[in-house]
Amino acid sequence: MSQNRLARSTTPGVSALQKTISKKFLLPTYIIISFLFLLSEKSDFKAIRFLKALINDGITYSIYVVNTPIKFVSNLGSSARQYFNFNIILENKKLKDEVEQLNAEKRELQFFKNENDNLKRVLGIKNRDDYVSVYAKIIHEDTNEFAKNLILTIGSNEGVQLGQAIVRNNVYLGKISEVNLFSSKAMVITDLNSRVPVVIPSRGVNAILKGNGLGGAQLLFLPQNAVFENNDQIYTSGSDGIIKEGLYVGKIVTDNKKDIKKRKYSVDLGFKEHQLNYVSVLKVKK
Amino acid sequence: MNSYIEKIKFYSAHIIFTLICINDSIFINTWIAPGPIINIKYILVFYFSFFDKGRFSITFLFFIGLIFDSLQGMPFGMTPICFILLSKLASYLKQRRTQTNFQNEFIAFAISLLVTQIISVIIVSYFSQAPFEYLLLAINIIVSLIFYPVIRTFLKVFYYY
Repeated sequence: MSQNRLARSTTPGVSALQKTISKKFLLPTYIIISFLFLLSEKSDFKAIRFLKALINDGITYSIYVVNTPIKFVSNLGSSARQYFNFNIILENKKLKDEVEQLNAEKRELQFFKNENDNLKRVLGIKNRDDYVSVYAKIIHEDTNEFAKNLILTIGSNEGVQLGQAIVRNNVYLGKISEVNLFSSKAMVITDLNSRVPVVIPSRGVNAILKGNGLGGAQLLFLPQNAVFENNDQIYTSGSDGIIKEGLYVGKIVTDNKKDIKKRKYSVDLGFKEHQLNYVSVLKVKK
Repeated sequence: MNSYIEKIKFYSAHIIFTLICINDSIFINTWIAPGPIINIKYILVFYFSFFDKGRFSITFLFFIGLIFDSLQGMPFGMTPICFILLSKLASYLKQRRTQTNFQNEFIAFAISLLVTQIISVIIVSYFSQAPFEYLLLAINIIVSLIFYPVIRTFLKVFYYY
């Protein structure tokens, strides 16, 4: 046995041949495995879906571990800036003023909410579904020429389902596009395949917001005579029955041409890409 | 000591390639251009297959491709096929040319990139229902071609061949 092993290792011709054979087999093997994986995309077997979810979870969490030191290094600059921020007292005072102002606005909103509820009761209008939010950490953000994804730390273990909205401070970011066991993928609003029914309440106009794949979005199916001004706010309309209505999406930016018919509109989204750490997934309360 | 440094240098290409693949958006889209503009991973695969055939093994490309697909939500198995195809095309085109100058190398890169992207489009359109923008893909190919000489020069300086 040991003689055989010695013979194998000391004969260069034989070992080279063995290597060539194994290399020759490697290429078709990997191609076949890749095609099998691709074919499994079309199948709907529960076992295959479970296996894929497991692989996805494994890869996602190992990437999170690999990326932690890189993120730490890339965040060092901003941490240092914060540490050496000498205007912190001034900033604190400014923030306190802002909090006071926001509290006043909150009280006013509460008054309007109560009034709205009373009016709904009088008119006999039923409230739509209630939603609960589940907190999730973004462990990875990916963009390529085909898709734009966020990978979240919660999956079917927390009751996450396809199509559920993800928000940050009541700003709509996207929806769940893939659910694994302990992780899930969300399609960002700027993804090419993203379509969201929206409403511009100040003009009473409904539209569809489509991602352009380059960090922005555009409004589709606008009425012909629709006219907007700068800073007209856009909210989700909830007409698809899945996404909660009234989530802030962004505001309209126009080129301010005097001829209204020639005006072009773009959308300034309510969040900045690559600056998200935590989000909430909205689930219908049962 | 010298061999240790050589080893680090040899595997640094693997580490850089892996990090770029798993942090595609962080490295490229945030720092250089908004959106999926440039395909550094394809440039790296081509460069190391063209100049140093044995550096990126098929097994390595296969597993990195699978990780990339899992992270990006692509049809599972698409990127391994693209990486292996690109690598094989690069080494084949290198073998065919008796004289290697920049012009030949650039043409080989353009052909390999185009073929790989066509294959990826076919796979995406057949195995995934998600539509995609051809214009973005065209921009991706053109910008990758423009950036190729720059990235190639950096790599040549670092790995000197």
